[in-house]
Amino acid sequence: MATQIVMDYTGDTHHCFNPDDVRALEKAEKRFKELTGRGFTAAVRTGPGEVSKVHSFDPTAEETLFFPRLVGG
Amino acid sequence: MSMAMSISDVANKWGFWHLGQFARDSRVNAVRNLYRIFLAQNRKEGRGLRLMRDWLSPDQRERFDKSGYFDVIGCTTGTKYRIHHHAVRTPNVYELDDIGRCKMGICFALAGRLAKGDIMLAQKIALETDEQNALSAANRVPTTRQETE
Repeated sequence: MATQIVMDYTGDTHHCFNPDDVRALEKAEKRFKELTGRGFTAAVRTGPGEVSKVHSFDPTAEETLFFPRLVGG
Repeated sequence: MSMAMSISDVANKWGFWHLGQFARDSRVNAVRNLYRIFLAQNRKEGRGLRLMRDWLSPDQRERFDKSGYFDVIGCTTGTKYRIHHHAVRTPNVYELDDIGRCKMGICFALAGRLAKGDIMLAQKIALETDEQNALSAANRVPTTRQETE
């Protein structure tokens, strides 16, 4: 199972999907585009504690994290 | 002397006069404590902290568990930043100099009301993967804060 984790006001929401399921994959890609279109940053883990930003949907990513845009404090 | 008598004697000695009530209270308290822990870990803040810990490197996690902060290295400049968990003090991110002293406070967060752990994780990712963009969004404030390694 792959997971998309979205940071939001409720904490974080996990969307799990089967990457072998074409329809689930399409839905995950749609979610990716919708969130990044709204200004969310997408990141994937590349190793223990190592993270990489991604700009397009990666169907092989096991875990993708989305967080809202940065603002000055 | 039977085992039950021994337990009664010990309980009486320590002031537990009604053993049945003592046992009921213990069970109720144990369940209540478990429920309290479950709620704390599954509320917004608890989930945020769990997610953050999960995405930290082993060194960062160890430092965070021990001291309530962890360090990250900016991907562009190689600058070291310290990200604190404290909820009240602002800013919670500090740029460090070569010997670990605070040079500057870096104020930036995320749009919306998010859990502290989520904000810290996003700050780590932003500085480690897109430092210039993070700094351009941030306000920099002078600080007299003293840090220790």
